[in-house]
Amino acid sequence: MDVLGHLASGFAAALTPGNLLMAFVGSLLGTLVGVLPGLGPTAAIAILFPLTSVLGPVPAIIMLSSIYYGAMYGGSTTAILLNIPGEVASVPTCLDGYPMAQQGRGGVALGIAAIGSFFAGTFGVVILTFFAPLLADQALRFGPPEYFGLMVLAFTVVVSLSGISLARGLAMAMLGYLLSLIGLGMATGEARFTFGFEPLMSGVDLIPLVVGLFAISEVFLGLEEARVTIATRITNVFPRWADLKQSMPAILRGTGIGFFLGLLPGCAPGVTVFLAYDAEKKLAREPERFGKGAIEGVAAPEAANNATSSAGFIPLLALGIPASAPLAILLGGLMVYGLQPGPLLFQKNAEFVWTIIASLYVGNAILLILNLPLVGMWVWLTRVPFGILGPAILLLSFVGAYSVRNSMFDVAVSLVFGFLGYVLRKCRWPLAPMLLAYILGPLLENNLIQSLSMSGGSPLIFVQRGLSLALIVAAVLLLFISLALIRYTSRRLRETTAEEMAL
Amino acid sequence: MNANRARPIDGKIVGALLVLLGIVALREGRRLYVLRETLVAGAVVGDDTFPMIVGAALLALGAYLVVAAAPPAARVELPSGATRAQMLAGAAVLVAYWVMVPWLGYTSSTAIVSVLLYRGMGGYRWPVAVLLGAVTTGVLYLFFRVWLLQPLPTGILGG
Repeated sequence: MDVLGHLASGFAAALTPGNLLMAFVGSLLGTLVGVLPGLGPTAAIAILFPLTSVLGPVPAIIMLSSIYYGAMYGGSTTAILLNIPGEVASVPTCLDGYPMAQQGRGGVALGIAAIGSFFAGTFGVVILTFFAPLLADQALRFGPPEYFGLMVLAFTVVVSLSGISLARGLAMAMLGYLLSLIGLGMATGEARFTFGFEPLMSGVDLIPLVVGLFAISEVFLGLEEARVTIATRITNVFPRWADLKQSMPAILRGTGIGFFLGLLPGCAPGVTVFLAYDAEKKLAREPERFGKGAIEGVAAPEAANNATSSAGFIPLLALGIPASAPLAILLGGLMVYGLQPGPLLFQKNAEFVWTIIASLYVGNAILLILNLPLVGMWVWLTRVPFGILGPAILLLSFVGAYSVRNSMFDVAVSLVFGFLGYVLRKCRWPLAPMLLAYILGPLLENNLIQSLSMSGGSPLIFVQRGLSLALIVAAVLLLFISLALIRYTSRRLRETTAEEMAL
Repeated sequence: MNANRARPIDGKIVGALLVLLGIVALREGRRLYVLRETLVAGAVVGDDTFPMIVGAALLALGAYLVVAAAPPAARVELPSGATRAQMLAGAAVLVAYWVMVPWLGYTSSTAIVSVLLYRGMGGYRWPVAVLLGAVTTGVLYLFFRVWLLQPLPTGILGG
């Protein structure tokens, strides 16, 4: 079957009432959490992840993807109206979005952000539709050494997720690998790192870990920051023709920058949004308007943000490499359902993949519909006091962690990692590399052991096979590109926010 | 906000911790190696290989953090005063919740804990906290128990 035939069957599945409902509920919940001050896509997906565990694989992944997209859209609302970026990717939007809100043009900024996000998101999914299968066509050339090469390539993502210090990122990644080793060994079935404690035999489950690190810790950070709500009134979100005309080139450029850089494994939205914003400023006839409410300053980074988010699905689905923390959780979600993202996914689970791709088109359309007419409701939600929100998130996290395996041990895990996550985030130890290494650890180990078994213990096998060598060389090249991009983004973040933030 | 500003203390502490974990990983790797030699004759790699690699990496990174790595320029603001008390109370309530659930069951424990959290973390007056707690408990029960049919702990006392 050709791509369009696959896509049509994907749409047939994605448009069934049940899956459509999941896309709608996911978009709604994602936007809802995304608009809450200070909560970004990672927190949104972490808080809502356990809710999907009771669903089947297809509706669950549709819901998780929609939560991710929804939170991306929602993040711009607090950035524009309250000057609070949920994650680094929303920082440039604050620069001109908030001044626009102060000038009474907050509605227009939200409208342009929604339109730009829709355009870029849809563009990204169109390319994903035609490009990912080409990558996946290489599936038969992948043996354990090539998969090991892919895992090495994925490890370069750690660099871009390391934030202020590479050593800290690497240290957290090693802790993630160590965590992934707990449980039964894959070769002999012997217990590892359990020290005779029976609940550890089945390992540390992903969901309690994610809930603790990203949801519970978020509440304590929010409590400490004494997050406040601000009354804002929005009258009209539909931009005028002149606004659209002014924004369209910026949306196109933002989409291009966001998408093509987003294809690089490890290039997260936090990097591309600054590049898109700076490109707009450099190309502008009156660069002095930027920072004072220039509509292009909202359009370009928002388009870049969503284009990168969409592009991230290509390395995620075709290679099994997540580009950001929320995509790492999504990868974990796929693996919870026994699906292994990577070249073979398109062959082994074609129906599943094409349903997900079709649901991304559907999700984007739902989000545009939700974001333009319902913006008043989202604005109202930004006023929910943290005193209500914090306890509600904690209670939801508790029952969510329990409900995965009906285990109080999992709840204990989420609490321990919640407290630990707070301390680590407070002291600027990046959590995303830990999560990524935890998720990819078993794959790396499995392919390493299989490869070395094939070669009789010789590591030369990784450089003797063309594709494996090419992947390792690509990893080294990407490492340098990532380092350069990180240096640029860190500098821009310091200039913009006067503080160090994790990317 | 009540806060103290402090130099990041963490680099050397985490470094030392990583060294310790590295030693633990290497010891576990060694144990698994002996086991592999006994159980699987002729295998060149096994369950011990990755723990050994991770252990060595932890040891090297830990040593680097202890000896050579410079702390980040940014200072960490530590909570103090009322904020710290509020956060510690929140953490204590969560731990108490975990202890309570097997005894009182999910619903009773959630009702009590939600009121305490709204009172302690949210700063609401008791009547408001009770109302918010009742609504939250009801919504969570309806969502997880009634709609998603999740088995929730009933507790020894059947709550």
